[in-house]
Amino acid sequence: MAIQGIDFASLSLMDALDLAILIEDEAQERYEEFAAQMEQHRTPDAAKFFRYMVENESKHGRELLARRVQKFGDAPRVVTRAMIFDIEAPDYDAARAFMTPRKAMEAAMACEVKAHNFFVAALPALKDVEVRALFEELRGEELEHQKLVQIELAKLPPDSGLSDEDFVDEPAPQ
Amino acid sequence: MSATGTCEYQAKDYKSDLKPIWCPGCGDFSVVQGIYRALAAIGRAPHEIAFVSGIGCSSRIPGYTTAYGFNTIHGRSLPIAQGIKMANPDLLVLAAGGDGDGFSIGGGHIAHLIRRNMDITYIVMDNQIYGLTKGQLSPTSQKGRVTCTSRYGSMENPVNPLLYVLAYGAGFVAQASPTDLAGMASTIEEAIRYPGFAFVNIQSPCVTYGEEAQQIKGLKAISETLASLGHNPADRLAAMDLAQHYGEKLHLGVFYRNPEPPPTYGDLVKERQDLLSKDALPKERILDLFIKK
Amino acid sequence: MRKDLVFGMAGSGGDGIVSAGDSLLQAAAAEGYHGVMTKSFGSQIRGGESSCRVRISTTPILNPGGNLDVAVALNWEDFLKFGAELPVSGNTVVIYEAATNIPVDQIPLVGVTPLQVIAVPIAAMAKETAGTERAKNTVVLGLIAGWFGIGAVAVMKGIRKKLAKKGEELVEANQRAFDAGRAFAMEHPLKTSMNVIASETKGAVKLITDGNDMCAAAAIFAGCQFFGGYPITPSTEIMQFFTDHVWKYGGSVLQAEDEIAGIGAAVGASFAGKKAMTATSGPGLSLKSEMMGLASIAELPLVIVDVQRGGPSTGLPTKTEQSDLFAAAFSAHGDVIRPVLAPTSVADTFRITIEAFNIAEYYQTPVIVLSDQEIASRKETLDPIDTTQFKIINRLRPAGAELQDYKRFKQTENHISPISHPGLLGGTYLASGIEHVESGAPTNSGTVHQRMNDKRTKKFDPLKDRKDLFEVSGNPDAPIAMVAWGSVAGVCREALAMAQAEGLNVKLLVPYLLYPVAEGVYNDFFRSVQKGLIIEQTHLAQTFKLLRMHLDLPKDVKSLARSGANPFLPGEIVAALHHLLSELQRSHEGKLQPQE
Repeated sequence: MAIQGIDFASLSLMDALDLAILIEDEAQERYEEFAAQMEQHRTPDAAKFFRYMVENESKHGRELLARRVQKFGDAPRVVTRAMIFDIEAPDYDAARAFMTPRKAMEAAMACEVKAHNFFVAALPALKDVEVRALFEELRGEELEHQKLVQIELAKLPPDSGLSDEDFVDEPAPQ
Repeated sequence: MSATGTCEYQAKDYKSDLKPIWCPGCGDFSVVQGIYRALAAIGRAPHEIAFVSGIGCSSRIPGYTTAYGFNTIHGRSLPIAQGIKMANPDLLVLAAGGDGDGFSIGGGHIAHLIRRNMDITYIVMDNQIYGLTKGQLSPTSQKGRVTCTSRYGSMENPVNPLLYVLAYGAGFVAQASPTDLAGMASTIEEAIRYPGFAFVNIQSPCVTYGEEAQQIKGLKAISETLASLGHNPADRLAAMDLAQHYGEKLHLGVFYRNPEPPPTYGDLVKERQDLLSKDALPKERILDLFIKK
Repeated sequence: MRKDLVFGMAGSGGDGIVSAGDSLLQAAAAEGYHGVMTKSFGSQIRGGESSCRVRISTTPILNPGGNLDVAVALNWEDFLKFGAELPVSGNTVVIYEAATNIPVDQIPLVGVTPLQVIAVPIAAMAKETAGTERAKNTVVLGLIAGWFGIGAVAVMKGIRKKLAKKGEELVEANQRAFDAGRAFAMEHPLKTSMNVIASETKGAVKLITDGNDMCAAAAIFAGCQFFGGYPITPSTEIMQFFTDHVWKYGGSVLQAEDEIAGIGAAVGASFAGKKAMTATSGPGLSLKSEMMGLASIAELPLVIVDVQRGGPSTGLPTKTEQSDLFAAAFSAHGDVIRPVLAPTSVADTFRITIEAFNIAEYYQTPVIVLSDQEIASRKETLDPIDTTQFKIINRLRPAGAELQDYKRFKQTENHISPISHPGLLGGTYLASGIEHVESGAPTNSGTVHQRMNDKRTKKFDPLKDRKDLFEVSGNPDAPIAMVAWGSVAGVCREALAMAQAEGLNVKLLVPYLLYPVAEGVYNDFFRSVQKGLIIEQTHLAQTFKLLRMHLDLPKDVKSLARSGANPFLPGEIVAALHHLLSELQRSHEGKLQPQE
C-alpha cells in the first residue's frame, strides 16, 4: 500500500474526510472485482462474502460522505484516487479460484488490519486536532470491522482439511 | 475540466467492461491497474491510444482497456505496433505480451524496434512459463525447471530480458512488479512519457503454474529498488551490471534512461516528409515522373 | 437392458466433471466395455464451463454419439453453454443439481421433453459425506453406478489407485460420497431401467489413450528420432509425449523458440539422416509453410502433424474443425505436391501416423497428417494392436557403386533418388531451396526446372493407386453415397449403420489419403452413385471443392458443410440420406411416366 503526494502535517479535515471516502471507494471496487472474479470462476460462497464486504464498505463510505457534505457541501475535492494505493483494498494476490469462504474472510481480515495500521502510522504526523480525532475514529472503525469478520469466521464450520485441488478439474489449455 | 483546460481522466475511464479470463490472483490484474493509473496520470484520451498485443494470457490485456485494442498473433505485436505508429504518429502506442510472446517467437523483432527508436512503450509480463497453453517452458524459465514439456528438467539457460534489451541499445529500460504497486504504476508512467522506445519488464506471477518462490511473497523476499542501491539510471554500464542479477534478484525501478534522448524514428520521418513535401507533384500528375526527357 | 449409453455431463471446472468422466471411462474399460470420452470447455483457464461426453458400449464404438441417453447438469448455466455439443432428446434421462432450485418440470431445455427428469441434492450429499461440496463428481459416479450398473466396484478401485499417495482420508471421503450417490439411485429407481448388460470381453486387455498420445507413440514406433515443435493447443501433448519418452530410444526433442524453428530443426534432423517430425495446429501450419516448401524441393522426408482447430487465425483454439485442408494441400508457394493423410479415430491414428512416415521416407517428401481437436483430445478404449503387422519403410540410401560420382537428385525410373546424409563417405551433396541440377548445384535453367518439377510431381503417381488408403463400406453398387474424413467419418459410419438398419441402400467412402486426389478411386466409387453428400466441418466446403478440382462429380453429389464447433449428429445425416432417397424416387417416377 502507498500514499503519493499527501502532506499529513497540513491535511485539512475536508481532505481527511475525502481521503477516508476514497479509501472506502477503493476497497469497495476491489471487493466488487473479487466478487465478479469468484462468480466467473464458479466460487459462489466466496463471491457472496465479497458482496457482503462491498455492502459494508459502501455503507461506511456513504456515512462519511454524508458527514463531508454536511460540513463542507460540495466544495471541490483536492485529494484524488491517484494518491492512494491499496490502503484498505485487498491485494489482488489474495484471491484464488475455488477459494473457501474462510480464505475470503482471512483476506478481508488482512486488509482491515492493513487499513488500521495505515491510520496508526499516519497519526503522529497529523497536526490538526479534528483530523486526529477523525483518524482515531477511523482506526477504531477498522478494529470494529475486524471484530465483525471474526464473528463471521467463527460461524464457519472448520474447513474439511481436503484440498480443492484433489477434486477440481485440471486447468484448461487455450 | 481542470484549470489548465486539459480533460482529466481517472483510472476507471481506461477500464473496459470485458471480464478478464485470468485466474483470480494473477499478477496481471495488478499490472492492468498500474496501466490504468499511468494513463490517467498522463491524461491521454482513451480513443487516442492504440494497445497492441500478441497471444497469451497477458496478451488479453488490450481488451480490458478502453483504448483501441489489437490482439494480434503470437510474437508479432511489435511489427504491427510499429505500423500503427508510422501510420499515425500522434497516437499513443502501447505494446504488451508475455515472456514467451516477446522473447521466444517474438525475439527477432525487439532488436529492430530498438534500432528504430519509435516512440512505443513495450510492457512484458514475465512469469517464466507458458500459461495459456497449460504450463510449458518459456525462454525465461530457469535451467532445470520441471514443466510438462521438461519432465526431467530444462536443459536450457534462460534469456535475460533486461540485458537483451540493454545490449540492443534501448533508451529506457525498467523493471517492475505487483510487489510494489505504486512503483509499478509510476514506472509505467515514466516509460510512456519517455520520448522513444521504452521497455518495462514486469514480474507478474502465474498462480496456476508458477512455482512457490515466484509468487508475490517469494518475489518480495528478493526485491530491492534500484533507487535504494543508489543506482544512477544515466549509467548504461552500471545498468547492465545490475541487470545480470535477473533471476536471482528482483531489481525494481529504472535501470537505464538515456539522459539525452535522441530523435525518435517518428521525428526523423516528420523531418523528411517536411523536407521533401515541397518537391511533390500533385497526385494527378504523378505519371509525369515517367515522361521521357 | 441397454448395450450402449451416451452420457453428457456439464458443470464448471471446479466441479471436477471431466475428472469424473475420466474415472467413468477407466472403470468401464476395466469392466470390459468399449468407451469413448470427449471433453469441451470454455475460454477460462480455471473454473469456466466444462463438459465431457462418455459413450459406453458392449460393441466397438464408431463415434462419440449423437443425442444423449443421460444428461448430468451440475448447473444449467454451464450446461446450456454447450448447446449442440450436448443434445438432449425425448429419450434422455436428465439428472440435475437440486440446489439449482429449479422444479423438475421447469428445466431450461427448450422444445424437448426428456424421458425422465430427476433433481438430486448432489452438493448436499457431497458436503454431508465427504465434508466438501467439491466431492460432487464422486457422488455423480455413484449415481451412475446405481442407475446404470457401470463401475459399481471399478470406479472406486480406480479412484483409490489414483489417490493412493494423497492419503487415506481423501480416499475414504470419496468412498462415502460414492456410496451415497449409489444409495440414492437405488432408493429412486428410474421409470425405465437403463442398466447396461455385462460386457462379454471383461478381463480382456484394453488400451486407453487419446489421439495425441497415440500419434506420438506411433511415431516412435515408426522410428522417429527427432521432434521439433512449439506449444499450441490442441497439439502440445504430442510434443509432451516426446519430452517424456524419446530420450529412452536414443532420440531427442526440442521445444523450439517458435513454430518455424521447430520445423526447421526437424528439417535439419532429416537432412542429417534421421526420421523427424513436428506437430502444430492451424496458426503453426501457416507459419511453417516456407519450411515445408524447402523440404519439398530438397526432397527431404518429414512428417508434419496438424491437429486442426477452429480457424481462421487464432479462431477457436478449443474447438474442432476441418478447415486446414486447403492449407495442407496448397500452402507453400510454387508447384508442390505434398501428401496429406487423415486419421478418423484414436485407433487408426496409430497406423496412419506410421503410414505417414513410410510415405515420407519412400517418396522423400514432407507429409501432413490432418488430425483434429476431437480425435486428438478424446480418449478411447482400444483392443491391443498387433504391431508386428506394420511394415516400416526407410529411405533409400546410396550404397556401393552409387557412391561413386554420387548425384543426389539423379533421374531414376520411379523419380526417387537414393538420399545420402552428412557422415556418409562419398555421398556429399548440396541441399537447397534453389532449383538445382542432378548433383544439387543451383540452376536457373527452364529445361532443368521443368524436368525437376516432373520428377517431384510424378514420383507421387503410385500414391493415387493406394486403394488401401480408402475405406468403402455399404453396398458397392448403392445409388446414394456419403464421403467424409477425419472425425466426421465416425459420425457417418454410425449414420450408415442406422440407415442400413432402416433399409436404405447407401454406401460411404472414407479417404485416409486426401491429397494427391486419387481420381481413379473416386471415379470407381461414384460410378453407381446418383445422389450423394460430401460431409465436412468447413465453412467453404473445402473437400467438395478439392474433389471438383480433380474429378467430374455426378451432378447430384452435393456438399453438406458447416463451420466447426457445430457437430454433425448421426440422426441428422440419416435424415439427409432419406431426403436424397425421396428425391431419387421422385426422379425415377418422373422417368417412368409414359411419354405423351
